Amino acid sequence: MIVAVLLLLPVLVAWPRWWPPPGAGAAEVLSALGHLAGVLGLSALLVGAMLSVRLPGLDRWFGGLPRIWALHRILGFTAFILIMLHVVWLAFGALPNSPEAATQVIFPPLEHGAVWMGWGALALMVIFLAPTFQFFGRPHYQRWKRLHLLSVPAFLLAFAHAVMLVEHALLWWGLAALAVAAVLWRKVLSPRLGRHDYTVEAVTALASNVVEITLAPRGRAMSHAAGQFMYLTPHDPGLEAGRGEEHPYTISSAPGEDVVRVGIKALGDASRALQTVTPGTAVQIEGPYGQFFERREPQRRQLWFGGGIGITPFVSGARALQREPGAGPEVTLIYLANRPDRAYYMDELREIAQGHPHFDAQIHYFQDRGPVDEAFIRAHCPDLAEREIYICGPPGMVHHLMGLLSRAGVPRGRIHTEAFDFL
Amino acid sequence: MTVNKIAYTAFVAFCTVIVTLWAVSALVAETRETDDDQRLFTEQELAAHDSAESCWKAIDGQVYDVTEYIPRHPTSEDVMLEWCGRDATEGWYNKTPGRPHSPRAAAMLEQYRVGQLADAPAPQARPEASAPTREPATHPPGRVLLGLSPGTYLDGRYRGVFSDRGAMQVNIQFDLRDHHFHNVRFRYLSYQGVDYLALEEHEELHAVMRQHRQAIDYLEGRPLSALFDLYAPEEVVEDIDAFTGATLRGNKLISAIRDALNRGVYQWP
Repeated sequence: MIVAVLLLLPVLVAWPRWWPPPGAGAAEVLSALGHLAGVLGLSALLVGAMLSVRLPGLDRWFGGLPRIWALHRILGFTAFILIMLHVVWLAFGALPNSPEAATQVIFPPLEHGAVWMGWGALALMVIFLAPTFQFFGRPHYQRWKRLHLLSVPAFLLAFAHAVMLVEHALLWWGLAALAVAAVLWRKVLSPRLGRHDYTVEAVTALASNVVEITLAPRGRAMSHAAGQFMYLTPHDPGLEAGRGEEHPYTISSAPGEDVVRVGIKALGDASRALQTVTPGTAVQIEGPYGQFFERREPQRRQLWFGGGIGITPFVSGARALQREPGAGPEVTLIYLANRPDRAYYMDELREIAQGHPHFDAQIHYFQDRGPVDEAFIRAHCPDLAEREIYICGPPGMVHHLMGLLSRAGVPRGRIHTEAFDFL
Repeated sequence: MTVNKIAYTAFVAFCTVIVTLWAVSALVAETRETDDDQRLFTEQELAAHDSAESCWKAIDGQVYDVTEYIPRHPTSEDVMLEWCGRDATEGWYNKTPGRPHSPRAAAMLEQYRVGQLADAPAPQARPEASAPTREPATHPPGRVLLGLSPGTYLDGRYRGVFSDRGAMQVNIQFDLRDHHFHNVRFRYLSYQGVDYLALEEHEELHAVMRQHRQAIDYLEGRPLSALFDLYAPEEVVEDIDAFTGATLRGNKLISAIRDALNRGVYQWP
């Protein structure tokens, strides 16, 4: 809603100025559309920048940080397309005059600095968006992240381009100020003000390539809800990779614990290096983000599907149940693992289930049974169509379950997932 | 994934469109350079078009007839009318103080260009300086020009006109005998609503009419190719002066005579 207002406000302001009078020719309509595409493109760029603020708590307004990422991505995509249309439509609008006039509009003499600033902005956009949209394959995450900072000079140039060409630019100044403030918080202030200092207390190996790291606060502790995630920045000088870099990990400890625990699987350079992080070294964490267990109907029974490292939010959920036995709705967890030695956390989950009247934990091995089927689920949870369903795991598993559940008659609105994949 | 593909496809399409546009305009510009006709206007001529009915403006030495555009300009009409009939360069570069018109506006302006402002000093000061140089007499020799026409004209009486901007200005009649002019006379001569043939001798513009008569008298008995000598009327007319020199337009006479030749014989001898 807020996003829509911010996006459309500049268009509403620009509309009467540029909307062609009735009876205008196709060329004038194209020119008007060209201007409006530019206006909307710049708003999308600036609002997209605002969404990068990643303020803990703020993401709840949007249904969790992954939703914001998705929105941010769509806005960037929209801005890119609209800004290209802006150029093409304006040029085409001048085409009936002459082809030279059309090129004059988009390639004017150099003293028309504003237009060239627009080109500068578009060129920068291409540079930082090419890896984002994987023009040349999947980018290296950290390189991509650094390159993405080019979005700041890009939106500043686009803003300058607009301000030099329009007369009433107050709104642009406001939007640009918000965008700059968001980036400033994210890149400069939050590493100093927004992070919590913790120490690595223990590193427990759960399986090969999977550890649980226990973190104890050195100052202000971070409080969180079950199923949330956080950004972890290790400062262990002995780390091979990812030192000083922040990466997102799901919290596996229950809310209210003195320590924060995270389950980490070696999926990239940084998470691999963390497998051997030295206990006693300093880390910083920022968060929490997300709202996986968004409870629209808290009393409805739940069915959880966890697979691979996607079990971590459910570990946090189960540990939370253990701390308050007897409370809350009935929960069934189905752990989808490949084989017994990959079913990390399963022993602890079974133990919690034994001591809790409303919590049941089941395991399904792919090696023995192949992909999970409806019969298996119904055997442990006959009323699955009545339950709120939470899924976390690799994309293939999520996809398989979504198909299976919709065939089983579960309404889409009752199924909740959070994607952790690179968008 | 689909978003990635759309973004990539759109980007490739964008590059293609821009390159094509640029290439087309480069090609068109090359062919157009050859037929770039530049009419020259004096500041007096410019000043005559100073109203909403006919609004000409000079910007950076180019003359534009923006009459048609006035109702479509985003501001109220007064803003544009203020600059009619004079050099509007200052207004052009200060849409709002210090802010020029956009490249898009520049492209639109181009379609209203009618010619160039002659590099004349202020008209009150020395108008005669502008008059002779305004119509440079450098044209191919008369025989060559005539050679470009069909070439043979039968003996007889010819009539032709020169009209511009919806009004007839010159109507001329002459007899041709063996490719020589005889009995050349005006049937009509008018400019900006003034009927020159009806002017009394004491009237200011009478001198202009007299010179036009001298110009056609020059043709009397001369071969057809002499017609092109009128491109440089100052060579042909004796009593040229500051005032009339600025107004004598030999090329209108040439135009009317060639119109007569094209029409063919009006009356057999």
